[in-house]
Amino acid sequence: MSQARKKKKWNKYRKGIVAALPFITPGLVLVCIFVLYPMLFTLRIAFSDYQIVKREISWIGLDNFIHVLTAKNSSFWYAFRNNLLYALVTTPCIIFLGLFFAYLINNLHKGKTIFKVGFYLPVITSWVIVGLVFQYLFNSSNRGLINYFIVDVLHLSKDYIPWLLREWTGNAAIWIMGIWKNTGWAMLIYTAALQGISKDLYEAASLDGASSWQRFKGIVVPMVRPTTYFVLVNMVIGAFNVFIQVMLLTSGKPNGTTSVLQYLLYDKAFNQFKFGEASSIGLMTAIAIVILTVILNKGLKLDTVDKEETV
Amino acid sequence: MQKRVAKLLSMLLVLILILSSLSGCSNKNTTNVNTGGDNKKGSTKEANDKASETTGDTAKNEEQITLTFWHTYGDGEEAQFTNVVLPMWEQAHPNIKIDAVRQDGGQFHQMIVTAFGTGQTPDVARIDIVKTASYAKQGGLVALDSFADFEAIKANFLDGPLSTNLYKGNYYGLPLDTNCKAAVVNKNTLATIGLDQAPATLEEFIAAAEKVSAPLISVSGVGDWDFYPYFWLFGGTLTDAEFTKASGYLDSQASIDAINKILELNQKKILTIKEVDGTADAWDGIKTGEYAMFFEGPWYFGSYEDNLAQGIEAALIPTYQGRSASVVGGENIVMFHTGKHQDAAYEFLKFMSSEEVQLAMLEVGQIPVLKDLVNNEKVTGNPVWSIYMKQLETAKARIPSPSNDEIGSIWSNAMTNIFINKADVASELQSAAAQIDALLVQ
Repeated sequence: MSQARKKKKWNKYRKGIVAALPFITPGLVLVCIFVLYPMLFTLRIAFSDYQIVKREISWIGLDNFIHVLTAKNSSFWYAFRNNLLYALVTTPCIIFLGLFFAYLINNLHKGKTIFKVGFYLPVITSWVIVGLVFQYLFNSSNRGLINYFIVDVLHLSKDYIPWLLREWTGNAAIWIMGIWKNTGWAMLIYTAALQGISKDLYEAASLDGASSWQRFKGIVVPMVRPTTYFVLVNMVIGAFNVFIQVMLLTSGKPNGTTSVLQYLLYDKAFNQFKFGEASSIGLMTAIAIVILTVILNKGLKLDTVDKEETV
Repeated sequence: MQKRVAKLLSMLLVLILILSSLSGCSNKNTTNVNTGGDNKKGSTKEANDKASETTGDTAKNEEQITLTFWHTYGDGEEAQFTNVVLPMWEQAHPNIKIDAVRQDGGQFHQMIVTAFGTGQTPDVARIDIVKTASYAKQGGLVALDSFADFEAIKANFLDGPLSTNLYKGNYYGLPLDTNCKAAVVNKNTLATIGLDQAPATLEEFIAAAEKVSAPLISVSGVGDWDFYPYFWLFGGTLTDAEFTKASGYLDSQASIDAINKILELNQKKILTIKEVDGTADAWDGIKTGEYAMFFEGPWYFGSYEDNLAQGIEAALIPTYQGRSASVVGGENIVMFHTGKHQDAAYEFLKFMSSEEVQLAMLEVGQIPVLKDLVNNEKVTGNPVWSIYMKQLETAKARIPSPSNDEIGSIWSNAMTNIFINKADVASELQSAAAQIDALLVQ
């Protein structure tokens, strides 16, 4: 009896698979060609000496990793540190500013769309154009707007600061560009979340005499917590994919101290033909992202958020 | 029953969709190919290749071939190439079509690396001289020594440009054009410091420039191409003559003194480095009269008459303690291993470095690389090209190594540390020399 039931269940399952197969095959084939195969190939290269022109791949074990991590002039640790710092600095700023502006916009009676578009514009503006604007802003002399204000207008410093050529000012410029470019995205996500909060809550709070700040702290912040987790995870993962800012603003100068993992990877592969080392950097970045995501999931108890909400 | 039919029908439709998209992705050439030798303009490269394959050896002269040629010519040079040089080629080789593709100069190297990875390199490319050894080391280029007439052709080229094609005893390209830096001076600005013509010595210029507080010499950055001429001018050396060792040369007292001299001029505001000081671009500054002099390649003089009208002219780099210096640049023309028509590609290489093409491209500022043209009146009679040709005599090459990019990075990192972070000159040069040593033994 149980055997027959099992068979029936299997038949039903098999039929389901057969019916679904034609629909999922095109997607599956594309994923295999454009995602899975390159991923596995990168994995192989990471452990090999890969000669791109001769197409020679010889297994060398962990040599690429060892070289990247221990080479005398390796920028790896600078790059890794800069990725972590980027996450630590930009993520809280983006979350705070995104929520702050979303709350302000949500409370407007008129002109919501104009402000939303205004804040979202940096997100859709070309990175190259933004990069050029930031290069101009952070120019080393009074030709740069920031130096002009600091030295010529406010007289805060006697000398012009070569922003993009020093370790910390260069990193600061990269962070500022990241914050400016991503705040609009967080704002939009928060705006959607804020619209989901019931007006009853605000009304009840008003009746109890809560001030604006108390309403923000007591209603908005807890109600958008799932959204905050979403933005947080996205931004932290995004911090490990920083590339264009660095390429456009500092190119890792001086001495790779403003470099990041993705820029280092690009430099190793395309300028030095060291595809094995580049792949090993890619692999280590992926591992770092997985570890961070797991920590965030556990730490923020993301897997239990939905359950809590529904209870 | 009806449900079953609908299900079958939907599956059938999906199947058709998959099959049609797969056939769309396939590489099958469905173009009708006229193998009779009169392919029309509309036929594709594949069609041409197929046509050429099917015609067989007997009709080899009728074979239609397309060669892809990648270059990074500017507007003027591209126009000259398309309107003057290509028609010359087509007339001589009606069966070999050149598909010239202009690439972005900034990302050209990356384009070639990507092409290496996908096996889609062009047949022929015009590349920077410093990249030749690096591509040859990767095994991407065809060594030309095996071609029967190469030995004879080799003798026609100037030794300096030809040597940039040499890697481990083989030549991987032909010189296409050469250049170096010479001085670009604004005579009006020079007049304000009491010099009525381009100074012959740097000592003379420095003495005059000390009277004003604004910098009169502009250097774009601390990278090798911009900085080597000054480093050499003030007595610095990079390596031994065979390029095998930097220690003992780059960190010698003479090299330390040379960098200290540049530092001193920078601090005295006689020489400004755009990348460090954030000052005006040299091209703009020389036009506005802000700068009196900067070193640049011949491409600055797009229109010599316009520049002359503004008081800007080419001059030899002033000597310092009787010594002159400049840095050699230029391009080679190379052919890639993946090319199917290597004989035709070699023909094109020879054509591009032939006397008539070299003279045609000279008109747009591409300085020729043939010995026979050094004293050609088109070169000697031109106020710009003659200066550059003369300057080439004292110009030195950058270190010819497959690790050229890394050496360039080591150099500019050291200079950034010295000029921005005020690091100790001697220890920075010592560390840079040790790093370069490690790359030179590879």
